[in-house]
Amino acid sequence: MSETAVSAVPGYTIVITGAPYVSQAPATAFAFCRALLDSGHVVDRVFLYGDGVALASALNTPPSDETNWTDRWQELLVANGIPAIACIASALRRGLLNEQEAHRYERVAANLTGGFTIAGLGEWVEAVATSDRVIYFHGGA
Amino acid sequence: MSATQLIVIDTPPYGDWRGREALDMALSLAAFDRPVALLFRGEGVNWLRPGQEGSAISQKTVSRNLGAARMFGVAEVYADSLALERFAVNGPDPEAEAVVPNAAFYGDFSQVVQL
Repeated sequence: MSETAVSAVPGYTIVITGAPYVSQAPATAFAFCRALLDSGHVVDRVFLYGDGVALASALNTPPSDETNWTDRWQELLVANGIPAIACIASALRRGLLNEQEAHRYERVAANLTGGFTIAGLGEWVEAVATSDRVIYFHGGA
Repeated sequence: MSATQLIVIDTPPYGDWRGREALDMALSLAAFDRPVALLFRGEGVNWLRPGQEGSAISQKTVSRNLGAARMFGVAEVYADSLALERFAVNGPDPEAEAVVPNAAFYGDFSQVVQL
């Protein structure tokens, strides 16, 4: 029997559609992502969609006795080399811009935090096509 | 089970952006030649209501966006038959097939995505 080259560990894509401080989605997704990595799984990418893009705002400033989910996620992503993408259409609508988009739309500031990039839904389609599992974390009604 | 992703829209066409962003997901899958189906259920069947005029509330008429779905290659569009009745959506998009979305229905898809 011939051997087929198949990755031993399944790759996951995490999709977050709920905003921090409005929903539990980014916090639960964080715990899930942490557990995956601790168990030796691979996280292919994190994709922020809809209200979830609020996680990538460098301007999130919760009180000092609350968790800063933006910082926590940024640390996790950078430490593990996980690409994280905020959907461009969702991001622009909700006032999340990188330097390039701020320049393009002549806005006064950019606020995309480090560790995240802005790209199109094609990145999510790519995830659907290539990741073994795509797990969604929604904000609820 | 097919490789088709099912995108579910269960929010009304106005007053909530989740449906629009779910539709964008379906259109993106179709644009990249990935098999995709749409299901309208609950309040989402109002997307199929004829005679929408979004400009009255300074919004785009989303049923026109839906009209692009076929053009982009969304081959299957379904609507929950009970919700069509409940919301009295008569004369829905003739392209939307009325179905009873039960376990067997959902089991036909590789993944079900609902925002």
